[in-house]
Order: sequence, then C-alpha cells, then structure tokens
Amino acid sequence: MSENPYGRLGRRLQRILVMLPYAIHHPGVSVDELAARFNIKKRDLVDDLNLVFLCGLPGYGPGDLIDVTLDEDRVYVEMADYFASPLRLTPAEALVLYAGGTALSSLPGMENADALRRALVKVRRALGRGEEGNGAAVQIQLEGAAGGHLESLQDALRDTVQVEIEYFSASRGELTVRTVEPWGLIAALGRWYLVGLDHLSGEERMFRVDRIKSVSVLDGPAPVPADFDPGRYRGAFSGGDGDLNLTLEISPSAARWFEDYYPVAGGETLADGWRRIEMVASGERWAATLLLRLGRDVRAVTPESVMDASRALAERIAALHRG
Amino acid sequence: MRRIERLINLIAALLEAHRPMTAEEIRARIAGYNQTSHAAFRRSFERDKEALRAMGIPLELAPGPSTGGEAYHIPKSRYYLPDLDLEPAELAALRIAADAILGSTDAVRAGMMKLAADSDVPSSPGRAGGGRIAWGADIAAEQPLLGPLYAAVLERSPLAFGYQRAGSDSADRRHVEPYSLVHRRGHWYLVGRDQDRDAVRSFKVSRIQTAVETRPGTYTVPTRFDAGTHLSGEAWELGDSDSGTATIRFSESLRWWAEQNFAGAPAREGAEGALLVELPVANVDALVSWVIGFGGEIEIVEPLEIRRRLLDHLSAFTDVP
Repeated sequence: MSENPYGRLGRRLQRILVMLPYAIHHPGVSVDELAARFNIKKRDLVDDLNLVFLCGLPGYGPGDLIDVTLDEDRVYVEMADYFASPLRLTPAEALVLYAGGTALSSLPGMENADALRRALVKVRRALGRGEEGNGAAVQIQLEGAAGGHLESLQDALRDTVQVEIEYFSASRGELTVRTVEPWGLIAALGRWYLVGLDHLSGEERMFRVDRIKSVSVLDGPAPVPADFDPGRYRGAFSGGDGDLNLTLEISPSAARWFEDYYPVAGGETLADGWRRIEMVASGERWAATLLLRLGRDVRAVTPESVMDASRALAERIAALHRG
Repeated sequence: MRRIERLINLIAALLEAHRPMTAEEIRARIAGYNQTSHAAFRRSFERDKEALRAMGIPLELAPGPSTGGEAYHIPKSRYYLPDLDLEPAELAALRIAADAILGSTDAVRAGMMKLAADSDVPSSPGRAGGGRIAWGADIAAEQPLLGPLYAAVLERSPLAFGYQRAGSDSADRRHVEPYSLVHRRGHWYLVGRDQDRDAVRSFKVSRIQTAVETRPGTYTVPTRFDAGTHLSGEAWELGDSDSGTATIRFSESLRWWAEQNFAGAPAREGAEGALLVELPVANVDALVSWVIGFGGEIEIVEPLEIRRRLLDHLSAFTDVP
C-alpha cells in the first residue's frame, strides 16, 4: 500500500510546500496573515517555519540552508528559490476539482457558470502536460437534465419559493402531486436529486429529477433551514423517519458487486461463503425492490415485514408477465 | 533528524541538482540519510520515495552519470504548478464549486490550497462570498485508483491490470491504452483500447484490481474520440451478449416517463393509451433489474424469453412460477 498523502506528515509537508512560495513572494507578510491564509494555528505555522529553517541543500552551511527570519511578527524567507512555486496538483486533486466542477457547471442558470467553465479548462492544464486537445479525458454523465426541470428548480431555489411537482414515486408505485419547499440540488449516483421539505409527507425528502413529470413554480415561501448542509446527502442517502434497519444474507456472486452499489453499514462473510449485510433502507417498498432484484441471491431477511412487502410486489409484477 | 526535514532536504536537493543523483550520492550527501547503515538507508529511502510520489511529487529515475546505474531527479517542469493564469472571478467560481463537492475533502482542500495560494480567494472552504450553497456534487472520487488512471490517461501510458468481469469468478489480465475516464450512474469507467482485442472497451474502475502497472510506450487517442459513445445508454445496453431488442409497455400514466427519458427510441401506440418502446438489450439481467424498479408499472411485452426470465427471477418470492 502506498502512503496516504493526506496523513499527518503528508498534510504538513504539502502545506509547507504551498506556504513557502507565498512567503517567498511576500517578504514581510505577517504571521497572522499566513496562518489565516493557510488555515492553520499560529503556533503550528511558527513550528513549520522553524522546521524549514533547518533544511536546505547539500553542504548545509550558511549559504545552503533556507534563511527564515521572524522579525517581530513579520516573516522573511530567502535562499529557497527552488520552493518559489507551489507543487502542481496531483492527478487525484485535478480530477476531483475538474469532475466536481464540471457537474456543477452543467446546471442551468448557475450564476458564475462561464467563469467556472473557463477555470475548469485551466485546471485541466494544471498537470503541466500542455495537452489542450484531450478535452474528452474526463466525462461526467448526469441524468435529470432531459425534462428541462432543472431550470425551473433553479429558479425556485434562487427565489426561495415552493414548487409543485408531479412525481413518479417508486415507494408508492404511482404518480403523485406534491408541494415541495426546495432546499438544494444534489448530484449523486450519476443523477440529479431535488432535496427539500415535502408537504405531502411533512418530511425532508430527496426526489430524483428524472422521475419528475412536471414542475410549477409557486408563490409560497420556501425558507431553507439554517443548518441545511448538502454534505448530508452523499450517496443520495437521506436519513429520514421512513428508514428501517435491514439485515440480509447475500450469495457469494451477489457479494462481489453488492457493496459497490448500496450503502452498507456492516458486513461479514459466513462459513458457506454467503455474506451477512446490515444496512439502512429508506422504507419497505425500497427494501422490497432491492430483495426482488437479488432474486435467489438473498436469504434470511429481517424484518419479516419486508419479506411480506417483497412477496406482494413480486406478485404484482409477475401477474403482468404470466401467460 | 525528523523525517519531514529529511523529505524537505530530499526534495530541495533533487530539484536543484545539476544532474540526477545516485542512491549512494543521496545517502552520502543529503542530510538525514548519512548516518544509517546501508540496509537502513534503503528502507528509509524506499519509504520516502513512496511518500513523495503519493503526494504527486515527480521523483523520476534517470540513467546514472557514468556507471550506468540508476539515478534520481525531480524535473522542475513537472514539479511546479504551471501558471494557470486564473482570473479572480474564475478562481472565485472554482471556490464555490469546490465547496459543493461532496467527499474527497482532502484532495479538494489540497488542490484549492495550491490554486488559490497566491490570491485573495480563501483557500479553505466555507468563506466564499458568504452565500448559501444550495448544491452538492458527489462524484464518488474517493476510489484510490482514479488518480493513477487519470495520470495514465493524461500521460498516454499503456497499462496492464487484472480485471474481473461482471459475473466472472476470476480476473484476467488486460492490456489497455487509456483514453478517457467516465462517471456514469455513480460509477467510474475507464474507456480505452484493449490491445489484445484491438477494440475500444470500457472497464468499470471498481472491478480493476489495485495493482495497476504502467507499461513503456505511448499511443495516440483517435481525434474527436468521444468516450460517451462507447458508454452511453442504459445498463442493459452494455453487455457481452449479442444485442437484441425488447419491447416495453409504459401504461398511460407512465408514458410521459418514456417520452421524457427515451426521446429517441422507436415507439408506437398501444392499447388503453399505453406507449410501446423498443429498446436495445445486451444484458438481460440488467433489464430485469430495471423493470423491477418500476414495481409493476411497466411490462416487458416481448421477447418471450425475457418475460420468462423475469418470472423465473421473481419465483423466489412468488408461489406460482
């Protein structure tokens, strides 16, 4: 295994390699400014500077060591021209910024979309290969743009007003009409989701934008909770009241892909090669759909109510396909 | 001497050296290595090389000065961040986007620190403009192979890796010229030319085994290559079996969904206001799984084999097969 570049050592070294160029180009910068700019404690910054002071080029005499002067609160770094530019981005850093930025720049009506797109073109160059041509090196495919609904949802978000959506609800297996106070748009699992307060259930919900049939922007206010944090919706998972703890055992062949696809809370391999999985399912219908997809590759499911729901759903689908 | 000092000394020396340094020169000349036994030196040097490479520092091998042994250097052109000439507005927009990226926090933070270091845009999250962030993008970039694969795409480096096809119990060795990385349905795929098959193939990154080997040589990516065309459509359109077609019936209440999401597919009117849509199918299991997701609102009309396959699949949960 390679060493984690963002472990304690890696983070400190990377920070030093970015802080030094700034200090070199801004002689006399204050300790406070440096600390604030690189988001570190003053004490840690002074430690970093004292550390750098001991480093330099072979010979390690007065003319070889990096010269760091702390004059009152002012920082001067000299004799370190080779550290006068920051280290380039790693491929992983360039990729996540480019891919994440590309996803967001594809949203209609983003205020700074043009500037963001120009920035992304430049980030693509950040690895210093000078390759302009291979714009197709990274592609992000996100579903949900087809119906043109993202634009209306962005309007509603901007104006903090409610929307009425016609939504195909997988958990009910039917088209529902619901009023939603939109809080945000989240790209996850390769598609866009609307997050907001759903008046129909009285709860916070995530809606797949590709399953929205229509959007009408309403006048009613849609205040966003002060603690709304898009980071809570990673993997398109929102913990809500409809969640249930599900335990199941899956076959060795399903075990190979299952944990790639579904958020799993815990798993252990059993003596016969099957795998016991613990996970949180967003409702019985969702869990039933999951079990039917597994077919014969699942056993020992609890709670039993999920098995009942699965049998009912299987009967419904099978009825259409017999004969 | 602390290890971090030794690493800084190593970077400084290899950046500034007029010619690549052999391991022995590094041991003799760079502070932090000189006092150890030969074996201890090898161990620390190996660890240090790995740490620097993991951080993206281009520590490269070059032919040694005279003896023909190997020597090390850090090419300045590949170490320094090139001047990207990011304007303040561009950097600010990037800052907002970076704040909306869900996950990969360390990589995003480190990347923005490098890009924004010399600007007035804050290099750490949460302070851009003070506006509310209403967006989030989770592009599943934690997968540790993405960095090395992206590097190979950019450097046009042929790769060899073990790949376990869906439904297969073992991995086989693939030799690939990586063209592109595609994020689709929450997963990453590497698209490139499979040298043994002499054809463009896509590889799900999570099925690539971790030991990816860079091979010598290079290649060119066909002009106007579009990875999307090799990796488009629905899950059931991708597969190793021969493609056929299936006809799916969307009831009157759900036909809008097909009209919205399958706008280009051949379709005809069915009884009772239904819409019959013809879809290409190369992976029957994926189609069955997708149909189940609609919970009885859509029906596989034909072919009969796929209808039977669905019933068979459900038989674990139904009384009558």
